[in-house]
Amino acid sequence: MPANDDAVRAQYLSFSLRGTEYAVGILKVKEILQYEQTTRVPSTPRSVRGVINLRGQVVPVVDLAAKFGLGETEPTPFTCILIVEAVLEGTSTVVGIMADSVQEVIELGGDDVEPPPAFGTHVKIDFLLGLGKLGKRFVLLLDVDRVISADEKEFAREVASAEPPAAAQPQPEPAPRA
Amino acid sequence: MDENEIEIDREELIRTFLAEAEEAFVHMEQSLVALETRPGDDPLLHGLFRDAHTVKGAAGLVGFDAVRDLAHDLEDVLERMRKHTLAVDDVLITLLLRSVDVLRSAVAEAAAGATAPSQAALAFRRRLAQAAAAAPGSPSSGGPPPPPPPGGAPADEALTLQQPAGSGRSLRVDVAKLDRMLDLSGEIAIARGRLGELLDRGQATHAEILEAHRETDRLYLDLQELIMKARMVPIGPSFHQHVRTVRDVATSQGKQARLLVEGEEVEVDTAVVEYVRDPLTHMVRNALDHGIETPEVRRAAGKDPVGRLTLRAFHEAGAMVIQVVDDGAGLDRTRIAQKAVATGLASDAGRLSDEDLARIVFEPGFSTAERVTELSGRGVGMDVVRRNVEALRGSVAIESETGHGTTVTIRVPLTLAIIQGFKVGIGDEAYILPLDAVVECLELPESESGSPFAHGVVNLRGKPLPYLRLRDHFALDGKRPERENVVVVQHGAQTAGIVVDALHGESSTVIKPLGTMFKQIPGVAGSSILGNGRVALILDVAGILRETLRRAAARDAAAA
Repeated sequence: MPANDDAVRAQYLSFSLRGTEYAVGILKVKEILQYEQTTRVPSTPRSVRGVINLRGQVVPVVDLAAKFGLGETEPTPFTCILIVEAVLEGTSTVVGIMADSVQEVIELGGDDVEPPPAFGTHVKIDFLLGLGKLGKRFVLLLDVDRVISADEKEFAREVASAEPPAAAQPQPEPAPRA
Repeated sequence: MDENEIEIDREELIRTFLAEAEEAFVHMEQSLVALETRPGDDPLLHGLFRDAHTVKGAAGLVGFDAVRDLAHDLEDVLERMRKHTLAVDDVLITLLLRSVDVLRSAVAEAAAGATAPSQAALAFRRRLAQAAAAAPGSPSSGGPPPPPPPGGAPADEALTLQQPAGSGRSLRVDVAKLDRMLDLSGEIAIARGRLGELLDRGQATHAEILEAHRETDRLYLDLQELIMKARMVPIGPSFHQHVRTVRDVATSQGKQARLLVEGEEVEVDTAVVEYVRDPLTHMVRNALDHGIETPEVRRAAGKDPVGRLTLRAFHEAGAMVIQVVDDGAGLDRTRIAQKAVATGLASDAGRLSDEDLARIVFEPGFSTAERVTELSGRGVGMDVVRRNVEALRGSVAIESETGHGTTVTIRVPLTLAIIQGFKVGIGDEAYILPLDAVVECLELPESESGSPFAHGVVNLRGKPLPYLRLRDHFALDGKRPERENVVVVQHGAQTAGIVVDALHGESSTVIKPLGTMFKQIPGVAGSSILGNGRVALILDVAGILRETLRRAAARDAAAA
């Protein structure tokens, strides 16, 4: 766990998602926007909310709640988009993630971060860097790169799985691909 | 071809070559130094090889034979290193670094007008030949490290990526255009001042402020469009520089070939032109070497003894398409399949589909040529093509008919480019269709508007016109309005109607890429930012029609 490094104290931005507190490394966050309507992109999973215009740059927005299986987010006045820099296929990409509300900046030392439990969180264990201890609360520390690239992979799979039924039908045997 | 014009082109070519060669040299030096610490690094070796190959090709193009021959000999050495039959040690690295220096001075001599290679260059070529012929190197101290897994680390990839001319890039811009930009920025300053004043005063009406803001916005968009347009250059010059290559190469091979150029006026962003220059060179050389046959063979096949090579450019669905078409022998499927099996790229020659063949052709190091010629045969060319095109998020396709020729099609997105778009609306989403795909618009007849189906047919002046509802096609939420409209679109020979809620009219559209997360969305070519700041998707008419046909076929198959 990179976050377990003892001497290092790192800052995180915490936000809430359906009552649970999550946090991402503050250095990943470029800015926080109030939620604005997105443009849906057809044939993408429901967790991809769409795209927004960030000063001329087209930026995808991921609905984390939908991604974690908590249902799509109904925007409220507190709904925010965190613009984060994620590493996708080795290149840095700017992506927006939706949060029900942004909480605060927290500072955690290596001792305050526990490895994620095997189950009990809504989030796949792969997506977590660890669990931050903040007084009596726990904050789920998200690994943004993994969350986003999982989106990409899942999406690629969906696109791929959308293809074969039609393509494979006319052929007597589906071509096995290594 | 006018002799005079060729001479002018040549000057231009030499200038380009000098910049390109120097860039390749710098890159080679970096790679060589890196190779010293990671002797078995495949991406580095491939990168080095590509650089040497590019220099060789470009030198041949401008007629710097001494440089070309040197680069050819250097390639021989690199080829053995790439195959791991020559151990990489510091003596070899020193020799290779020295060869970059010799190449540099050879380029300088040739540029100064020397036609024969200098004594030093000749002596050095002998040394290179010795190195290339050296016995399979007994591993130097400690033995060579095992080759890294194919693909390599991302950092290595970045090193080998071919970057087009970096520093010192320039573009000639009409002064009138610059003047207009200056005027516009002046007007923007005034409009901003006015807006600021209105806001300061605090008693301006909402309408007044909005009006002032719109004015500023409009001016700003004009300026942006002008800047984008200034970046657009015709593709013609990149095509014409091959006139000489085709003639020279064909002659040297005892072949006859003519170059035809279509769509030279098609404009693309200057960055795109830089990226496609190398791929074009490789494709033209490949077509001449592998495609076009000798006059005797052509005559025997009942074809014009003079081969035809066509370079074609056109815009399609928000992308620029470049095709290199030859009327030669076509891909030799059996040979490709055999070679693919022999090199381990495929397991069963009998089961290779056309797509597999096309994929194999673009694999690094793949070549069917029996012998390595000055032109091609080392299997670098198509790899360069694919890399450069993919760097632009484009795609390469290859089509071939035995005996009738090969067509290589490159599609590159018009990133940064502007198209004329036609805006349509569904619910509160807006979409943009490329205007060149739109034929006409009409209202959906009442008889059809009640239909619950996603598809249907309307009568367009006595002809049946199949239509599809975009709302259903994209599975959008919301209800259909009472009145729907049909946009009649055309793609190739296909005409179809796309049913939308509202027609918003045409406008200039700045294309923005959708980013890595949305690489292959069927029916979506890109995005654009609307006047209200929201993002609108640009539709890919060809993709939508293809997808519709696919779904219809799937439905029929399911019903059967």
